[in-house]
Amino acid sequence: MQPDTVAFRQATAVTGLGLLVQLASSFYWTPLTFVLSAAVGLPLVLAGTVLFLRTVLRLLKSKGAF
Amino acid sequence: MLPTYIIVALIVGLAVVLLLYVGAGTVADSRWGRVALLVGVVALPLLLSAGSVSFGLRQSTQTAFCLSCHEMQQYGTSLFADNRAALSAVHYQNRLISRDATCYSCHADYAMFGDVKAKMNGLHHVWVHYFGKIPDKIALYQPYPSGNCLGCHDDGRRFLEAPAHQPIMDAVYHGKVSCLACHNVAHDLGAREGHKLWQAN
Repeated sequence: MQPDTVAFRQATAVTGLGLLVQLASSFYWTPLTFVLSAAVGLPLVLAGTVLFLRTVLRLLKSKGAF
Repeated sequence: MLPTYIIVALIVGLAVVLLLYVGAGTVADSRWGRVALLVGVVALPLLLSAGSVSFGLRQSTQTAFCLSCHEMQQYGTSLFADNRAALSAVHYQNRLISRDATCYSCHADYAMFGDVKAKMNGLHHVWVHYFGKIPDKIALYQPYPSGNCLGCHDDGRRFLEAPAHQPIMDAVYHGKVSCLACHNVAHDLGAREGHKLWQAN
């Protein structure tokens, strides 16, 4: 498997985990699960986004885009 | 439970992410595949998260949300106190504030960071509720700011023309006299035992 594919998969996995936390929280909505959703789910999605964009930038750089 | 449409949207988003995880190897090879990755892994999850969190933030201003912790239930009961001197009861029963956001209407400060401060306090409440020691007597973090009262009553006729307010108007506006100095029953916590509770017919 190519390194970029692995990196894309990592980003996807982290994002998916963030969505999963939010989904699980949404079934049992209490003050605690809301905090979990906002303080764990959302940051995981943001981390996935950062990982994805970092991989894209690395890919573009390796292809001499800038 | 959150509304069905939010749950369905999160399930769809998760399914898309799972599909892209499985097919990342082939999808990343083509231009449109990379666009699909961008949409499925970045745009869609961000949009869903923003929707979910903003809905959650709105839910957290609801009276039912505050009263879902048992420590707050006596304060919920105090909204129905048959006591015309109890501020929370008067505001709630006469619909001077939204019944859906009763607690938040009075306990979130005005000005730029009022909402942020209320949310941070709320986080602390959640922490104490689940992991800390709940104090025997629940008290505000600071004296109740009259600015919160003036946010609504400021230019209200009844407030401006009340004879008792005339000599202290300047002092109230400058924060030298608190509204609670005279209106000193915020919540009638003895309502359940001592008074009849009010109920709309």
